[in-house]
Amino acid sequence: MDITQQLEHNREEILKKWFEFTIKSYPEDTARFFRKAKNKFDNPVGSATLQSLENTLKLIISMTSELDFQDYAVNKIDANQNVIENALDPIIRIRAVQNFTASQAVAFVFELKTIVKSIVKELHDTNDPLDREEFGYIAFDHTVDLVALAAFNRFMKCRENIFLLKATEAKRRIHSAFERAGLVTELTEEELLGSNKS
Amino acid sequence: MSEELKPDELLDRIDHTPASGNWMDAPVHIRPGMYCYAAKAESVQTLGLPNARTWNPIEDDWKLPENWQEIIHNGIKERLERFRTFKVFMDICVRCGACADKCHFFLGTGDPKNMPVLRAELLRSVYRNDFTKAAKILKMIPGGEKLSGGRPMTLDVLKEWWYYFFQCTECRRCSVFCPYGIDTAEITIMGRELLNLLGLNIDWIATPVSNCYQTGNHLGIQPHAFKEMLEFFTDDIEEITGVNVEPQFNKKGADILFITPSGDVFADPGTYTCQGYLILFKYLKDKYGLDVTWSTYASEGGNFGFFTSHETMKRLNAKMYAEARRLGVKWILGGECGHMWRVIHQYMDTMNGPADFLEEPVNPITGTKFENAKSTKMVHITEFTADLIRHGKLELDKSRNANRIMTYHDSCNTSRGMGLLDEPRYVIQNVCDNFFEMPPNTIREQTFCCGSGSGLNAGENIELRMAGGLPRANAVKYVHEKFGVNTLGTICAIDRAALSTLMEYWVPGVTVSGIHELVGNALILPGEKERETDLRCDPLPGMEEEEDE
Repeated sequence: MDITQQLEHNREEILKKWFEFTIKSYPEDTARFFRKAKNKFDNPVGSATLQSLENTLKLIISMTSELDFQDYAVNKIDANQNVIENALDPIIRIRAVQNFTASQAVAFVFELKTIVKSIVKELHDTNDPLDREEFGYIAFDHTVDLVALAAFNRFMKCRENIFLLKATEAKRRIHSAFERAGLVTELTEEELLGSNKS
Repeated sequence: MSEELKPDELLDRIDHTPASGNWMDAPVHIRPGMYCYAAKAESVQTLGLPNARTWNPIEDDWKLPENWQEIIHNGIKERLERFRTFKVFMDICVRCGACADKCHFFLGTGDPKNMPVLRAELLRSVYRNDFTKAAKILKMIPGGEKLSGGRPMTLDVLKEWWYYFFQCTECRRCSVFCPYGIDTAEITIMGRELLNLLGLNIDWIATPVSNCYQTGNHLGIQPHAFKEMLEFFTDDIEEITGVNVEPQFNKKGADILFITPSGDVFADPGTYTCQGYLILFKYLKDKYGLDVTWSTYASEGGNFGFFTSHETMKRLNAKMYAEARRLGVKWILGGECGHMWRVIHQYMDTMNGPADFLEEPVNPITGTKFENAKSTKMVHITEFTADLIRHGKLELDKSRNANRIMTYHDSCNTSRGMGLLDEPRYVIQNVCDNFFEMPPNTIREQTFCCGSGSGLNAGENIELRMAGGLPRANAVKYVHEKFGVNTLGTICAIDRAALSTLMEYWVPGVTVSGIHELVGNALILPGEKERETDLRCDPLPGMEEEEDE
C-alpha cells in the first residue's frame, strides 16, 4: 500500500486522533463538552471542528494522490488554496475569535504529520528519505504544508474581516444618522461601506 | 551532561494542552477584544453613582476606594437581606452541571469560566467564605478554607468578577435547564450591582444610562432632533407610498402613548421598523380613528439602568409612566424591544407600580382585553398587531414581501422573560409567505442569545460578541443553507444592530429585519400610490425589471 491507500485505510483513526488533538487545545473542562459532539446545535464548536477536519482530511488524501511535482506551479497552488481554505473555514473562523494566538489557532494542521507517522506502519519502520519518497510520504508532507499555508491565509482573512466589521459598525452607527440629518452629502453610506463588498 | 535531544524528540515534548489546575488559582487575563471600555467619569457622576474617575481595566491600578473590600462585603450582606432569590441562589446550587453547556458564551468562547455554574461560583465562593457557618468552622482547621469552596475577596477576584460578569448577557437560557430554577442572570445582575458600588461599570452601559437620565434617550438626542428624525422618515414614507403619515408628538389626551427603543429612530436597520410603526398608526387613524402619540420626553424604551442596578433601572422606568400620566393617555403601547419588556413584565409592577392612573389596556378596534398587561398597562406591539390581524382589521399585501425567505429569532427577553412566542410568528406568517423555523433547541424558550445583549453591543469587544453569537448564527446558517433563508426577523433593537454584524461574519447573505418593517411593507394605506420599492428603497418583487429600464 502506498501512502494514499494507507491514509484511506486509516482515515477513521487519523480523524479521531486529529480531532482529539484539536479539541485538547481547549481547557480540559471545556474539551470534555466539545468532544461529546452529538447535536450540532447544542455543540457548534465540537461539531464544526469535526466536520471541518473530516472535509480537510478527505481533501488531503485526494490531493496527496494527485500531487504532481512536475506541475508544482504557482497557479496550481493558488487554485488549490481556495478549495482548502473553504474546507478549513468553519474551524478557522471559530478559532479566529477565540482565545488563541495565530500559531495556536493553526497548530492543529501540523499535528497531522505526527499523527500519520504514529499510525502508518511503513513510516514507523523507516527514517530513510528514499524509502519515504517511494512510499509517497513527500507528497503527503507537501500537501499538509499547503494546508497549513491555507489555514494561515484563512485565519488572516477572518481577522481582517473582524476589524473591518468593527470599523463598518462604527461608521454605520454614526454616519447614517448624520446623513439623514443632512450633515453629510458628498458620500453616501453605501459608497463608504463599499470596501466591504470588494 | 545529559545527551542532546534530537529534533523529533524535542518536538514530541511540546505539549499543546492548556495547563490544568484549580480554577480558583488561575488568575484572570483581561484580553483585548473581549472587554468593554471603562465607564466615563462624567457619566457615572451624572447619575450620582460612587467612585466616578478615569480608569483603565488593563492597568494594574483600578483606582478603588481604600475600603473597597468592606464596601463589597456590606453590599453582599445588604443584598442577601433584601433579595430572597439571591440568598437562595447562593445556597442551593448543587453544581450538577446541567447549565454548564447551555451558555452561548461558553459554547462560543470555550472558556470554562463562562459556564453559568462557574460564573456564579466566582461570587458564590466569596459568599461562602464571608457568610456561611461551614466556612467559619472549617477556617479553624489548617487548610480548611478550601474545603468549604470559599475564597477571600482579593483584587484578582474582583477583576475576575468584572471580566466575567460583563461576559454574560443575562439571557437566562441556563436557568431553563437548572433543576432548581436558579436564575444565573440574577447572579450577574447582583454581581454588576456590586461592581457599580466601586464605580466599575462599562461605558457602553454608563453613558447611555446617563444620556437617558439627562436627555431622554441613550444617544442623548434632544427633543427637536428626535422629532426631526421622525419627520425624515415621514418624508421617506411619502416618497414610497405617496401618503403623509403625520406622526403626533406629546399630544395630550391621545388614546395611546407609543414608546420604542431609540435604536429604532437612529440606527439601521431599526429605522425601517420605525417606519413600519408610522405606517401602521396612520392606517389605524384613517380607518378607525385611533389616536396614537409619540413622546419626545419618554423617547427611550430601552433601559440600560437594568444592567447597572435596581435603583438606576427604577429611575429610568419611571419616566415612561410619568409621561403617560402627564399626557393623560389610556395606556402605553411599546415597540419592538428586548430588555424593556423584561423590566416591564418582571419588575415594573412592584418597582414603579401599580400604574393605577392608567386604564386596563383594551384594543379599542377589536375589543380585546390584554389580560397580561392588566397591571403594567403596557402592551407589546406584536400582540397588538397580531390581534388586529386576527380580527381582520388590516389589509395586507403579502406579495410585497415575497422576496423575503424568513426565519425568526426569539429575543431572550421577550421569549424567556415574558413568554411572547407565537404573536411575532403569527404576524410574520400573515405578512410573508416564506417562513422557516430554526431547529427546536435554538428557538422559543431555548433560544440562543445574539451575544450582545445586556449592554455588551460595543465595538471594542467584537471578538466576544462574534464568539457569543456563534450558537445563534450556527442555527441561522443551517436554515440559510437548507431553505435559502435570506432574512432574520427579530423584535429587539439590540438584536437588529448586533445580528446584522453577526450575520456578516458567520452567515453572509442573511439580512436582519424587524417585524414591523415587514408589516409596513405589506400594509395597504388608504389612498396610497402603487409602490415600487420597499421601505429600504429596494425594488419590490416583480418591480426589479422596471427599475432597470
